[in-house]
Amino acid sequence: MTAHSTHDVTVLLQAWSRGDDEALQKLVPLVYRDLRQAARRYMVGERSDHILQTTALVNEAYLRLVDVQKVSWKNRAHFLAMCAQLMRRILTDFARSRGYQKRSGKLNRVTFTEALWVAPQSDTDLAALDTAMKKLAAVDERKSRVVEMRFFGGLTVQESAEVLKVSQDTVMRDWKFAKVWLLRELNGEEHRGA
Amino acid sequence: MGKNIVEPERLRRVEELYHSALRVAADQRAGFLKNACQGDAKLCEEVESLLAYESSAEEFMGTPAFEVAAKLMAVDEASEDQADPVPIGVTLQRFRILEKLGGGGMGVVYKAEDTRLFRTVALKFLPKQLARDPASLERFEREARAASALNHPNICTVYDVGDHEGQPFIAMELLEGQTLDHRIAGHPLPLKECLTFGIQITEGLHAAHQKGIIHRDIKPANIFVTSQGQAKILDFGLAKLASAVTVGGEELEQGSPDGRSAGATPRATAPLPTPDLLLTRTGVAMGTAGYMSPEQVRGEKLDARTDLFSLGLVLYEMATGHRAFEGDTGPALHSAILTQAPVPARQLNPELPPKVGQIINKALEKNRDARYQAVSDVRSDLEALRQEIELKRPARWREVAVGVVLLGLIASATLWFARRQSSSLQVAPDLTLRQLTTNSTENPVASGTISPDGKYLAYSDRKGIYVKLIQTGETQAIPQPNVFKNGKVDWDISWWFPDGTRFLANAHPPGEDPHIWSSRGSSIWAVSILDGVPRKLRDEAYAYSISRDGSTISFGTNKGRLGDREIWLMQSDGDQARKLYEAGENSAICCLQFSPSGESVAYFTSDDSGDTLLSRKLNGGPVTTLLPTSVANGTTDSLWLPDGRLIYSLREPQAVGSSSCNYWVMRVDARTGEVSEKPRRLTNWGGSCMDSTSVTADGKRLTFKKWTDGATVYVADLDAGGSRIINPRHFSLDEGFDKPQDWTADGKAVLFASNRDGQIGIYKQSLNEDTPKVIFAGPANDRETRVSPDGNWAISIVNPKSGGPSEPGKIMRVPITGGSPELIFSTQARPVHISCARLPSNLCVVAEATEDRKQVTITSFDPVKGRGGELARLDLDPDMNGNGWLCDVSPDGTRLALSSRLEGPIRILSLRGQPTQVIQVKGLDKMMDLYWAADGKGLYVSNGLNGGTLSHVDLRGHAHVLWESHGGVRTFGIPSRDGRHLAIQGSTISSNMWMLENF
Repeated sequence: MTAHSTHDVTVLLQAWSRGDDEALQKLVPLVYRDLRQAARRYMVGERSDHILQTTALVNEAYLRLVDVQKVSWKNRAHFLAMCAQLMRRILTDFARSRGYQKRSGKLNRVTFTEALWVAPQSDTDLAALDTAMKKLAAVDERKSRVVEMRFFGGLTVQESAEVLKVSQDTVMRDWKFAKVWLLRELNGEEHRGA
Repeated sequence: MGKNIVEPERLRRVEELYHSALRVAADQRAGFLKNACQGDAKLCEEVESLLAYESSAEEFMGTPAFEVAAKLMAVDEASEDQADPVPIGVTLQRFRILEKLGGGGMGVVYKAEDTRLFRTVALKFLPKQLARDPASLERFEREARAASALNHPNICTVYDVGDHEGQPFIAMELLEGQTLDHRIAGHPLPLKECLTFGIQITEGLHAAHQKGIIHRDIKPANIFVTSQGQAKILDFGLAKLASAVTVGGEELEQGSPDGRSAGATPRATAPLPTPDLLLTRTGVAMGTAGYMSPEQVRGEKLDARTDLFSLGLVLYEMATGHRAFEGDTGPALHSAILTQAPVPARQLNPELPPKVGQIINKALEKNRDARYQAVSDVRSDLEALRQEIELKRPARWREVAVGVVLLGLIASATLWFARRQSSSLQVAPDLTLRQLTTNSTENPVASGTISPDGKYLAYSDRKGIYVKLIQTGETQAIPQPNVFKNGKVDWDISWWFPDGTRFLANAHPPGEDPHIWSSRGSSIWAVSILDGVPRKLRDEAYAYSISRDGSTISFGTNKGRLGDREIWLMQSDGDQARKLYEAGENSAICCLQFSPSGESVAYFTSDDSGDTLLSRKLNGGPVTTLLPTSVANGTTDSLWLPDGRLIYSLREPQAVGSSSCNYWVMRVDARTGEVSEKPRRLTNWGGSCMDSTSVTADGKRLTFKKWTDGATVYVADLDAGGSRIINPRHFSLDEGFDKPQDWTADGKAVLFASNRDGQIGIYKQSLNEDTPKVIFAGPANDRETRVSPDGNWAISIVNPKSGGPSEPGKIMRVPITGGSPELIFSTQARPVHISCARLPSNLCVVAEATEDRKQVTITSFDPVKGRGGELARLDLDPDMNGNGWLCDVSPDGTRLALSSRLEGPIRILSLRGQPTQVIQVKGLDKMMDLYWAADGKGLYVSNGLNGGTLSHVDLRGHAHVLWESHGGVRTFGIPSRDGRHLAIQGSTISSNMWMLENF
């Protein structure tokens, strides 16, 4: 953490939020560092006690990195929503690059079923999910954002509701519906691809 | 399906219908949709196609994206290291590579030909991560060369070490067979194999230890069993390297910017020259940390005894099929190794002879000084057992073990069943039993139920509520509601809703004995596994069950003297609560459950004579008795199964010490609610009892909590004038029910009562011995044996078997060296306490409640001459009905410590005419045992009905807690006469969820 001062991260996040993609490139190593640490836990056979909270913890880490005084986000929830977007970008890119490696034969095929802990038919990956989310956003942007915040950002229902300025019930309904919609979409993808 | 041309407006319509359809019962959805779509078939189709994913969507994205990516990265890193270091056919130094045998995240193994000696060998390349650190590399070479000096049939021989382009390899003996972990694969090995392999491993280890080489990573994956059935230890010398790197890696992890530190290194290596094994490995190793010794976990300097602890773990796993320590995370495992006792081996495999448990326990002593000191000692114990068993019966060990069990705990129970001719003794032949949770005795499972679809187990323990995906074992904690954030709560999982997404849980006030749980102070919560949030439905209520259609919750309320007096029903959302039944003032009613059809209900009623299980139609009609009081009193749980049978867990009436229960089933006529088929015993278990029984909707899988209450003797050293204990250690190395009684006069041996031979006997065990000698085979009382002042006699109270009030209790003496008991005198009084001073005083006293139960008389006696004169009288609290008082004579025989109420005070009554001293002890309100400290300046007092605390109390009333026990047998402490040691009653409740199929 010493490599990046609090100030740097704040500036980078702000720059990225204004559309500066170079800033994103500088943020990537930060996420990767956390990702490697988590990966290492798996390698040595440890798992997080509260898996659901992992992303939230990562987000908290960013919250600590940011110089709160200078943050222009309206509040914590909005900042976390920002992080969720960042996560989605980085993790999806990671999955994509991995996909290329897989196709070029560098990596063995790994079933995502185990990794996602999902039903057998949804053998999918993060990259395909990202694509499906884009389709969902085209017809209902809010639902896509709910997924982004909950799945990629680890935001609670309450935090998501705060960002979207809707009730928590709406977030729950969106989340529930988005999941079946995406699952169906991903399965369709699978069939067409096969 | 037309989903590619979704318009926002259309999607909203679909969504609306989707949510509406979800509110309709699954079998009525088609009809509902047809109606709602108003002829728009496409719309219907669209909604239906989404509904099809509803159940799979539950778990979809259940793991955060970040975690998913991390797992993938872990897999990548592992497979990267799996890349083949050398091509087939090349010759490295003198080894020509023939074929690849396997490769995993932990290294690649080749079959190779030694071109100089013309023999086939296995070449194992170390993982790249290990090879990156020059210091480790050097250490590896040094160790491997030392290991290559080991030439023993039970050690896989290392021929040579080499290097190929900076990647080190070892050339070793090529073996055919499989590793022990694959041999075990979740099932106990036959006893003979256990012993044979165990002995062979000790022989290999002995050879290594003789040369000063410690293995440091003994575990089933590092023991190879050849196709000839010979055990060989693998990987000598590698463990030190691996662990050294891991420690370094943790340091590196903080500052290593590229994350490629050796922290990613699996702690141990696996040479395993079998193709199938290595190929199935993913490289993401789980839980090798589970085989470390406590000193290894603490990072202390290791000696050969670390291997003995790990050997104990291997023996445990061979004997039970289970790992002794399991945990989801490294830290959890480490803390388990440091602080927790594994589930007793014989509990997991009741067929094991007790001696196996004793050997394992001694090897698993956390304190290495208390452990076996040399591997040769383990070997001789294993060898002795093997000979004993072969001598006893040359038949298969299963038969031998059954014989042992029958001779032990079950014998009396079996006779009892044999007498009940009407009940069939047939036990279902192919019950399959699987353990679902592995909580340690430190944190026993409190309750649990299986979801109707059989996917999840919701369970609770001292720390909270969890949902476990049964298939994978993945477990998630349900966060505590905010109201309990600052205070504790005991959860009891009640019942799942039929849709399998929510379950009911009762929150009870903390620390209450589960047997007296009631609605008072309790609340009912519904927990959704979709969002993991518990929501409160009702206060001052205790949920029993949910009707099969999910519409109605039954609960109890209005606690009276014997328990809740009213049963109510309410809707699944907690609304529309209404009273169903009410019991009279001096009775209680409880635990209503619905019949499979929902027409009838079954419930318990209780009064002073005991419990009865009744059934009745929900809309009224006559009441039928399902289980009469004589049976219901011994029932720990009952459940109406979907196929109409009633299953119940019944205590074995004559089990000694720990409770023993078995499941029984009987058929109940669905229409009349009457018993239509006689009860049949389903199981043949001993030493444990069941409750929290639940079943899947299809009736195929039953889960239940199986618990064992054990009692063990600990011995601790006393310090600071007897007011502190240090180094408490397991003393009675047995898994039964052991209760400390007294010390021999020289303070060198503990007397304890034990049920190890089927009835309670009195045993004596020296501080420097592991096995006790029988003083009196029994049957004895488990609480009242004292050693006479001169140390020559053990004095025991033996209550009449029948327990009838007219039969006298007997105070007996037995020579301390063992022998047959002789009567000193009889007493009609009950309860009775005896205690003795030490030389030069010759005083023993007997304290007896008077017939009217208003007073206690204290009389002197001599173990040979019998009863003497009355010394004192103590008035009793009339509310206590002659119970709840305590009496102990001081070591010098001049004073009595007395208490007549649970909350004190303690009175020190002088037998020399000094004024009585009154000690009010703060914080103790359930004083249950009281023993003088050896110096006569304090007392050891236990407090609490179950478990409780043990304190040293000085004569001014200052209490200092020495020992705490969570539930189970009440603790107490008895000091040795020289004041150097304290014998402490320890308790072990092990309680876990199990699943039964084919019942």
